[in-house]
Amino acid sequence: MDDTSVAEGGEGSPDATSSVGISTRARIARVFVAMPPEVVLIVVLVALGLIFAQGSEFFLTTRNMRNVLLSVSVLGILAAPGTLLLISGNFDLSVASAAALCGCIAGVVAEENSAAAAILAAIGVGLLAGIFNGILSAYAGIASIVVTLGTWLGYRGLARLFSNGQTIRMNGKVEFITNDILGVPAQIVIFVLITVLAWFVVRYTRFGRSVYAIGSNPTAARLSGIRQKPTIFVMFIVSGLLAGLAGLILASQLDAASGNAATGVELEVVAAIILGGASLSGGRGTIPGTVLGVFILGIMQNGLTLLSISSFWQDVATGVVLVAAVGLDQVRLRLSGS
Amino acid sequence: MTLDNGALSEKLELRATGLRKSFGGVEVLHGVDITVKGGEVLALLGENGAGKSTAIKILAGDYKRDAGVIVIDGEEADIRNPRDAGAYGLRVIYQEFSDAPDLSVAENLSLGRLPRNRFGLVDWSQVRRNARDILEKLGIELPLRALVGTLGVAERQVLEIARALAGSARLLILDEPTSALTLEETDALFAFIERLKAQGVAIIYITHRLDEVERIADNVLVFRDGDAVAEGPVTEFGRKEMVEAMVGHELVEEVASLRGEGHEIGEPVLAIEGATSDGVFRDVDLEVREGEILSLFGRIGCGALELAEAVFGLREMTRGSIRVGEESGQPNSPKDAIARFGIGFVPIDRKTDGLLTVLNVAENLSVASWPWMTKGGLLPPRATAKVFDRWYDTLDIRGKGGATQIVDTLSGGNQQKVVLGRWLERESRLLVLAEPTRGVDVGARAQIYHVLRRFADEGIAVLIVTSDIEEVVRISDTVVVMSRGRVVARHRAGEVDRAQLIRQAAEDTSAEAAVV
Repeated sequence: MDDTSVAEGGEGSPDATSSVGISTRARIARVFVAMPPEVVLIVVLVALGLIFAQGSEFFLTTRNMRNVLLSVSVLGILAAPGTLLLISGNFDLSVASAAALCGCIAGVVAEENSAAAAILAAIGVGLLAGIFNGILSAYAGIASIVVTLGTWLGYRGLARLFSNGQTIRMNGKVEFITNDILGVPAQIVIFVLITVLAWFVVRYTRFGRSVYAIGSNPTAARLSGIRQKPTIFVMFIVSGLLAGLAGLILASQLDAASGNAATGVELEVVAAIILGGASLSGGRGTIPGTVLGVFILGIMQNGLTLLSISSFWQDVATGVVLVAAVGLDQVRLRLSGS
Repeated sequence: MTLDNGALSEKLELRATGLRKSFGGVEVLHGVDITVKGGEVLALLGENGAGKSTAIKILAGDYKRDAGVIVIDGEEADIRNPRDAGAYGLRVIYQEFSDAPDLSVAENLSLGRLPRNRFGLVDWSQVRRNARDILEKLGIELPLRALVGTLGVAERQVLEIARALAGSARLLILDEPTSALTLEETDALFAFIERLKAQGVAIIYITHRLDEVERIADNVLVFRDGDAVAEGPVTEFGRKEMVEAMVGHELVEEVASLRGEGHEIGEPVLAIEGATSDGVFRDVDLEVREGEILSLFGRIGCGALELAEAVFGLREMTRGSIRVGEESGQPNSPKDAIARFGIGFVPIDRKTDGLLTVLNVAENLSVASWPWMTKGGLLPPRATAKVFDRWYDTLDIRGKGGATQIVDTLSGGNQQKVVLGRWLERESRLLVLAEPTRGVDVGARAQIYHVLRRFADEGIAVLIVTSDIEEVVRISDTVVVMSRGRVVARHRAGEVDRAQLIRQAAEDTSAEAAVV
């Protein structure tokens, strides 16, 4: 407890005895530290782009870029609420399962009813899934990673139950969801809108700043009068709603619903957010960072496919990029911590 | 371990001279000497920021010294890291435990060097035998199979020391070991220290508590602002000399000007009647008025801190009432305390309870005022930056990064100013502060007192919970002493006498003789 001011000033302060050659290194380190974390990601993204453009002529075409956007939009829609949750120190591992469940519900309902009813049912079930996660995580005091690990399994099981383990054909009923809006596929428009909205909420609203405060130090936030439980509850509800939307988009894209839809996407969501600079211990993370993380994952997948690299090697490469980028950010943080 | 018939075979003699250390170009230790021998307790005194921690961290190998020589048993010791220090038999016992709470007492005593049998597996009977031997030699009784986390604070402290000695420590550096102990536990610890002394262990004892120095120390060494300003046998020091050496004359004189003698004290802001929380505090009546700074003085565990928590809605009471201004009834949550009652709370542990550690200074200053500042839910960064501009000068927040500096990277004193500023920005009419200057350096401490006095003069009521006698003397208009959950005395500013206060807080008449 004693002399903390001195101790903090001292940790990591430059070593007085070694002076030769430190100036250049120190200057590079300082530039590295002063950069916003997003710069590192942009550099990674551009580097990947250059490599892939070198390897495939098709890579830089408008058509391919549109493909990339189409393939990342569901990931991006789920990553927006995921980012807020992780900033607050919470996880929603059930999003992909919930999306599959909502898709299957839409499929079952669409068999006998109108498209509107199917959409309502899907969104409604997403809402319920979010409320369930939120009540257990925010009000029952169970760690959200445990709650959503349970519902990750549970919602997936329900999805397979409702679909009877089969693929449900939608017969074009919900295809219009992903129709073009002014020449742009709807899911891309939705992805952009949700991202901008999330960015605005995080940066400019009391709700957004409270999310950071809670993640930074829950006790201090409570002692400052921030209401933790409703804030966390609302985030889970949004996450559930957007899972419902994602489920509809997937069903519309494939014109079919399946209990196996979006398998593994929950971890891609976490990977993109972490890649974007969020901290597992909470308090850190940004929407632009997450978007860059989403694009890095999408570009890797797209580019490596164009280079005809096996999907097994794609996974290995994505894993390497993830660990390397986060490792680099940790180095940056440690240097700036002094 | 080198205990031989209960005594160390080799006593250690440490002589450190000319220790210097700078951080970021600012020298915080200006060449100090420290001498200590086996069988001797050296009390190291000094205000926060005086350089005590820096000095012991150099001895412990946590910091690299810029200059100075450490001689152990006549030979120059090359201490570069904690491992080197350990090899010379130097060990620091910090306030934070370094034990493994989920393991047993016996295993903790062999941590890092578990004996193995011929199959390469842990030899548990040997582990317990070793533990029994160590505890027996030190004259301690602890349940060997109990998990360390289930022990009391004092028992863990003793275990921590036993672990150091099991690792053949010959010089123990104890960093404010009694700060979390009750009086009985303190007595037990002191008896243990006496035994270690008799066995030839050298001890450097860091404390703020002068009564402890008189009880336990052989020699005294006082640091102030990075210099050793006084040293000698404890018998040559009176309490007055120690305080003067620690504080310096100019600060002693400043005390009078900080007290609110002669200024207006207005209407009651906080009125507590018959407050009781079973087993914690009982029948407490208390009134804090506009413009008044009231210190609730007592030792750790006296119930004052818990009473403060009840005022802020963090603890339920079994009976009694709390009234703030016109609002009556007890706040049921911090949010209620802030929004409805206008109370601000500076918690005892800044890092774990006060700061939004990875957020910036402006956000930390404004967080309690967010509900005020937002219009239609919007809270742009511009708005929080404005709050920083408002408090930057008043609080003299010194950080190189301005409004957007991450609060974790500020010094302790500046962090505390930020937590205080949070409630001033909120225009709280009652401030409740728990140990507001713990871990805060001398300069920032004076600034915090000045700010408190200034806002008290503007009509805020201030309730300080403290176990720091200097704080009581320097800042309060009124002192209320608590002991074992009850109010035992009340004093006005002029009539405060350190000795009386300490005696009352201890409820221990025998202490009177030891007091100047």
